[in-house]
Amino acid sequence: MIQIINGLVYGSFLYVLAVGLVLIFGLRRVTNFAHGGFFMLGAYVSYAAAAWLGFWAGMAASVVVLAFLGVLLDRFVFRPLAREEPIVTLLVTFGLLFVLEDAVRTIWGKDFISVDAPAALAGSVVIFGSQYPVYRLFVIAVAVAVAAALAVWLRSSRIGLYVRASSVDPVTTAMQGVDTDRLSALVVAIGTGLAGLSGTIAGPLMALSPSMGAYIIIDCFIVVVTGGLTSFVGAFVAALVIGQFHNLGLAYVPEVASVIPLLIMGLVLGLRPQGIAGHGK
Amino acid sequence: MNGLAVARSSGMPGSGARARVPSFLIAAAVLVAAGFAVPLLVGSQLALTLMTQAVIYAILAVSIGFLIRQNGLASFGHAAFFGMAAYLMALNGRFGWMPAEAAVLAAVALPAAFAFLTGLIIVRLPALSFSMLTLAVAQSLHELMLRWRAVAGGDDGMAVRLPSRLFGVGIEVFQSPATMFVVCWGALVVVIALLTVVARSRFGVLTIAIRENEERTRYVGYRTLAPRALVFALSAAAAGLAGVLFSLYNAFVTPGILHWSLSGEALIMAVVGGAQAVWGPALGAMIFFIVKDAAGDLTEHWPAIIGTLLIAVTVLLPQGISGLLARVAAIAPRRKP
Repeated sequence: MIQIINGLVYGSFLYVLAVGLVLIFGLRRVTNFAHGGFFMLGAYVSYAAAAWLGFWAGMAASVVVLAFLGVLLDRFVFRPLAREEPIVTLLVTFGLLFVLEDAVRTIWGKDFISVDAPAALAGSVVIFGSQYPVYRLFVIAVAVAVAAALAVWLRSSRIGLYVRASSVDPVTTAMQGVDTDRLSALVVAIGTGLAGLSGTIAGPLMALSPSMGAYIIIDCFIVVVTGGLTSFVGAFVAALVIGQFHNLGLAYVPEVASVIPLLIMGLVLGLRPQGIAGHGK
Repeated sequence: MNGLAVARSSGMPGSGARARVPSFLIAAAVLVAAGFAVPLLVGSQLALTLMTQAVIYAILAVSIGFLIRQNGLASFGHAAFFGMAAYLMALNGRFGWMPAEAAVLAAVALPAAFAFLTGLIIVRLPALSFSMLTLAVAQSLHELMLRWRAVAGGDDGMAVRLPSRLFGVGIEVFQSPATMFVVCWGALVVVIALLTVVARSRFGVLTIAIRENEERTRYVGYRTLAPRALVFALSAAAAGLAGVLFSLYNAFVTPGILHWSLSGEALIMAVVGGAQAVWGPALGAMIFFIVKDAAGDLTEHWPAIIGTLLIAVTVLLPQGISGLLARVAAIAPRRKP
C-alpha cells in the first residue's frame, strides 16, 4: 500500500514536470531538451534562495527566475528557429542542456546536495499503519493543485481557449488572428516556471546534482509521448501510470525497473500510435 | 518553404550540379587519397588512435545523417545498432556460433533486419515518438547488457575473442592504429559512396518525396511504408558496421556503447556536419573529436564548449558545416539560378 502511495508521489512529480513540456510542445511543436536543464537549474535556484529566505520564498524565486528564462528561451531560441526543421530546435535545446549542466557544475560543484523538507512539512503521519513523510503527500497535493489550476485556466479563460486551439493546430489558430508569438512567450514561461516548481519540490525528494535533469528528461519525454504529445489529460494519466509502475518495479524487480516506463510507452504506442489521448494525425 | 530549401540543398540533379561534378569528384578523390596517406604522415600513435576512433564514429554519424536526410527522422537510439553489432561479435567470440567472418556479416545484417521489422511499425509515428521509441529500444538493450552479468559481464563489459586471422589477414591489422585507420577510412569511403548512390537513385528521391509529403506520395501511387523502413534498415546496417569495427579495434565492449549519450553525440556530429550532404556527418564527427580533444586538454568545461558549438552551428548554419561548404562551392564557379 505504501508502495502505491510512493508511486503516486513519483507520478505526481513527473506530471508537474511533463505538463510544462506539453504546454510548450502544444504551442511551439518543439522537443525541448533544455526542460531537463531548467528543472535542474530550478532545483539549485530554490536551494540557493532557500538558504537565506526559506523554502517557500525559494520556491517562488525558482518559479519566477525560470519563467523569466522561459520568456528569453522563447524569444531568442524558439521564435527565430520556428521556420527551421524541428530537429534544429531540438539540438539547440540539447546544447543548452549541456551548457546549463556545466554552469551549475561550476557554480555549485558536482557533488550531491541534499535538501531538507521545510519545517511545516518535515514530520510524518500514520497511513495504513505505518509512518509516512508529510512532504511526500505535499508533492501529491502540488500536482493536484497544478492540474486543477491548469484545467480551470485552459477551460474558462480566453487565453486557455487559444492554447487549446493551438495545441490542436497552431497554423490554423494563427490564421484566425491569434498572436501565437505573444501567446507562446506566456505559455513557454508557464512551462519553464513549472520546471522550476518541480525542481523545487524535487529537492527534498531526491539529491541535487547537475546531471539530475538529463536523467529525468527521458522519463519526462516518455510521459509526454505516451500521453499523446499535446494532451494535458493524457500526460496526467501517463504520468500516474508510469510513475506507479516505475515505483512498483523499483520495489519488486529492481533489475529491470528502468526499462518499465519504456515498455509501457512501447505497448501504448503499439496499440495507439497517437498516444493515450492524442489527436489523430 | 521547407520543401524548397531542401530541394535546393539536397543535391537534386539540377542544371548547376552537372557542371560541378568533375571538380567535385576530383576534390573527393584527393580527400580520399589524403585519408589513406594519413598513417604515413602522422607519427604519433596517440593521434592515430584518436583519429581511428573518430573515423569509426564518423560511420555511425553518417548512418544517422542518412536517416535524417531521407526520412526526416532523428534516431535517439542509434547506439542500439552500433552496440548490437559489437555485442554480437563479442558473444560469438565467446560461444563460437559461427566463424568470425560470418559473424561480421551477421553483425551488419542483424541490425538491418531488426530495424526493418521495427521500422514497419515505428516510422509511421510522429517524429518525436519515433525518436523516443528508438531511444527506448537502445536503453532497454543497455539495461539488458548491464544486468546480464553472467555472460556479458554487466557493467565491466566483456572481451571480444577473435581468431588470429580474419578475412585472410592477421588480426593485428585490425588492432594497430596505423593499419586499422586505413581499414576504417576505407569503410567510411565505401559507406558514403554507397549511401550517396542510394540517395541519388529513384529510391532515394522517392523517400525524399515521402519525407516531404507522405500522403501525396501515396496518392501518386507509391507504397510509402516499406521504403521508409528500408532507409531505417540501411542506416542501421551502417551503424552496425561501425559497431563491428569498434569491436575489432578495441577487442572489448561495455554497456556504455549502448547508452543514449553515445546516440546523442552521434546525432550532434550529424547535425553539426549537416545531414543534407551524405558526407556531412563524417565531417561533423571529425570536428567533434578535434573540439573534444582540444577542449578536454584546455579546460574541464568541455560540455559547455560542445554545447555552445552545437547551438552556434545549428542557429547560424541550420544546414550544418557541409551546407555552408556546398553553398560556397555553388557560388564560386557560377551564380545559382
